[in-house]
Amino acid sequence: MPSYTLTVNGKSQTVNAAADTPLIYVLRNDLNLTATRLGCGLSQCGACAVLADGREIRSCTTTVARVAGKKIHTIEGLPGLWAAKTGKPLTPETVHPVQQAWIDEQVPQCGYCQSGMMIAAVDLLDQNPKPSVQQIRAAFTNTPPSPHLCRCGTYTGIVAAVQRASKAIAG
Amino acid sequence: MSILGPTLTRRDFVKVGGVLVVSASIPAPAKAAAGADAATHTLDASKLASWLELHADGSIVARTGKTETGTASTAFYAQAVAEELDVDPMKVSVIGGHTDETPDGGYSAGFLGGVNNLKKVAAYTRQALLGLAAERLKVPVASLTVANGVVSGGGKSVSYADLVKGQQLSLAIPVTGRLARIDPKDPIGITDLMGIIVTGEPPMKPTEKYKAVGLSHPRPTVADIVMGKPVYSGDVKVPGMLHARMVRPATLGSTLIAAGKIDKAKFPTAEVVVQKNLVAVVSPNEWEAVSAARAVAAVTKWTEWSGLPGSGNLTSNLRSQKFEDVGRRGDLGKADAALGKAARTVAATFEQPYVRHAPMGAFVATADVKADGAITLWSQSSQAQGARAHIAHIMSVPVEKVVIRWAQGPGQYGRTTYGGDGAMADAAILSKLVGKPVRVQWTLTEDLAWSSTSPGWVADVKIGLDAKNNMVAFKSDWYSPHENDARMIGAVLAGMPEISPKTKPFYPAISTVWAYDKVPAVVESAFGVPNLAHDSANGGLRGNIMRTPWQRQQNFALEAAVEQAASVAKADPIEYRVRHTTDKRLIEILNETSQAAGWKSRPSPSPEARKAGTTPVRGRGVGVVIRSGAQWVGIAEVEVTPDTGVVKVLSFTTGVDVGKVMNPRHLKSNMEGGTVMGLGEALFEEVTFDQSKVTSTDWTKYRIPSMGDAPLVKTVFTSRDGRGINGGGEAANTVSANAVAAAFFDATGVQPKRIPLTPAYVKSILMA
Ligand code: FES
Ligand code: FES
Repeated sequence: MPSYTLTVNGKSQTVNAAADTPLIYVLRNDLNLTATRLGCGLSQCGACAVLADGREIRSCTTTVARVAGKKIHTIEGLPGLWAAKTGKPLTPETVHPVQQAWIDEQVPQCGYCQSGMMIAAVDLLDQNPKPSVQQIRAAFTNTPPSPHLCRCGTYTGIVAAVQRASKAIAG
Repeated sequence: MSILGPTLTRRDFVKVGGVLVVSASIPAPAKAAAGADAATHTLDASKLASWLELHADGSIVARTGKTETGTASTAFYAQAVAEELDVDPMKVSVIGGHTDETPDGGYSAGFLGGVNNLKKVAAYTRQALLGLAAERLKVPVASLTVANGVVSGGGKSVSYADLVKGQQLSLAIPVTGRLARIDPKDPIGITDLMGIIVTGEPPMKPTEKYKAVGLSHPRPTVADIVMGKPVYSGDVKVPGMLHARMVRPATLGSTLIAAGKIDKAKFPTAEVVVQKNLVAVVSPNEWEAVSAARAVAAVTKWTEWSGLPGSGNLTSNLRSQKFEDVGRRGDLGKADAALGKAARTVAATFEQPYVRHAPMGAFVATADVKADGAITLWSQSSQAQGARAHIAHIMSVPVEKVVIRWAQGPGQYGRTTYGGDGAMADAAILSKLVGKPVRVQWTLTEDLAWSSTSPGWVADVKIGLDAKNNMVAFKSDWYSPHENDARMIGAVLAGMPEISPKTKPFYPAISTVWAYDKVPAVVESAFGVPNLAHDSANGGLRGNIMRTPWQRQQNFALEAAVEQAASVAKADPIEYRVRHTTDKRLIEILNETSQAAGWKSRPSPSPEARKAGTTPVRGRGVGVVIRSGAQWVGIAEVEVTPDTGVVKVLSFTTGVDVGKVMNPRHLKSNMEGGTVMGLGEALFEEVTFDQSKVTSTDWTKYRIPSMGDAPLVKTVFTSRDGRGINGGGEAANTVSANAVAAAFFDATGVQPKRIPLTPAYVKSILMA
């Protein structure tokens, strides 16, 4: 099996995997980063979203070969991402403002979709730090390759949490 | 000393693991409660130690067989325990589900019943602790007060922690009932699903005195989910485990001719495993299991089969079947007589196709079956003791040999309420065959084709009106395949002993709660048939309950008919409903919700209603349901573009009177989420099938609402004492479909007789 060097959550890691292995299996099984959830496996739901060079990708259909050399961030790496952005030291207490907003708003019901939702929120707020409600709804619905789906129907809470995170990031 | 039945004895100083506790000895996260029995893997529910641990640091661990499904029941449990003990709810943690660590079993559905056990245990414990404090402080129990876990009286005080330090409190908890078990005579095949119930009436706080209940207490696992901790059933890793992917039959009724072989050059560590019609590929590497399973599936040969009517012919097929009576409420003769005398009648037939739970993650389970028959199974089943009994049955081992380790999963919305369904049977069977732990992950396509479904239905409804167009008679006949098939498909395919197949319908029964009590003659009847294609090799389309079961479907027909009667009466739909009920709570929440939604009183359809044109036309509608003691109202505003048939929900207001609100934030979340789920049924959801298999097998073919499909949901609720604590987790999905259908009628003047309101259906009724 070929080996790939990936930068995941700021750490460079080498894994052996078949070239067509979707990134999600490497994250969950080889690197023990299980916050990235397997939903549809078909690029249709967003549960598996991670950041590659700061932009959302679907790890269920993106092969490990395609992300070699890119900076990957998963939910586990959001505190580190925030620490790096603010220049503050990373401690066990560091929480990304998006995660804090999700906790404050108690967004998750079953929670299964929420890792992907938070990744989409981080991507959105990076590109548009003060999105309107319409822009938030459009981002979670129309950004390719598919809407971010939540069967528990937490969309109202997600919009509130993105707005809260936006305020927190603006300071 | 005897306090209200339970006895309190002081034991010798107990010190285990360096922690002094009142009952169990091991701090959370615990291995096993003190009442655990290593031989039976079962807790003794009559011992306090099985339920509650009071630790010397003031923290409390509560144990319940009920599980968290996403409705925040674990937050409510912590609040209820905190309330009865008068401690800070943040000090209470809840262990749920594991069959060897929790005493009572039971449904996750209906947390109200679930919370009663822990509430009573906490109340008994409080009485015992007050007894100890009275001795210690030398004041009578009656003069003691408790705040924040500190008992005070006679100018002195002592904390629970200090009271229990160095002691063991042995308190007998009075219980009745038993853990779930297989019963071939039971209509479902599994009985005692309520589990063990704590009995007696210990003094409990009146709701007016509640402090912890009523707070927006955070749900315990939310922070772990958000921070990405491994909390899900799919995150379980057992040393040495293999990954499995299933190779399912080509059709719902196919049997295996020959399983494909593994190309070892391509997939060196993968193996095919076969038992009867159960085919799987296992590998230590998950991606290899996925890839090899696809390759094997492509060359595996199955018999051909067709025996489904095709979803397009569902209603006519149901009409042609021989239904059996399965339940009636009301007086048929009286209702028929009243209909005969009515000034006019309104009659309609309503229908809905098969829909399904459709969680965001497919079924997953991990099993470790040992050579001696001992089974450990990691599962997200919401009925862990039922799953335990069921797995023991199919694997032919005593129930004591089976431990279910529960972990959270994607929301199941009722499909594991009877314990089974999903990957558990696959995992146990495969683990036994390969002699290693096996993790089975279904695919979305497999889940949308092979998991159980909420069956389609048809209802004939007739309303009799008097000269003033008030309702004087109501009659409904509801037809549907049964929705209680608890079998696990893996066990069926592998030919394992299963609970009795459902060839006899016994449900649906009548599940509506009749809100319009001024209507003098009402009869509701239900008729059932077995699964579609029930006599095929694999059991056909397995029917199962789904969020707000029966009532969701039956209420749709009921409310749609009332809507029609209101329009005949040229009455405002809310005023017309109010006219027919004496339920003050319903009237109150109807008023509050309609005010919040900006409802203007007028009859439907709207004066602007139109059934043609390329520009959108708007309408508004209302739906009502009473469920688990709570009154629900949904009000939708929709926009219909007649020429394209596209329906868009512009706004939605959901109101509920649950009496005392236990947790405002999570009630709001459940109201919002349930509403969105109901919008899916109103607009998109239909399980489609051809003559041999389900065809709606991904998110483009089984469409559920996206953020853009659902409006921001407005919620209306107020906590009210003196009305009890009633169900807030479930029924929002019931009112949304009714409100949308009514709003569609308001906008177009054409009443839908079917959901979902897909563009094709909408165009067909607007052009008719
Ligand atoms: S799991 Fe990747 S998009 Fe659904
Ligand atoms: S919170 Fe359950 S799927 Fe989104």
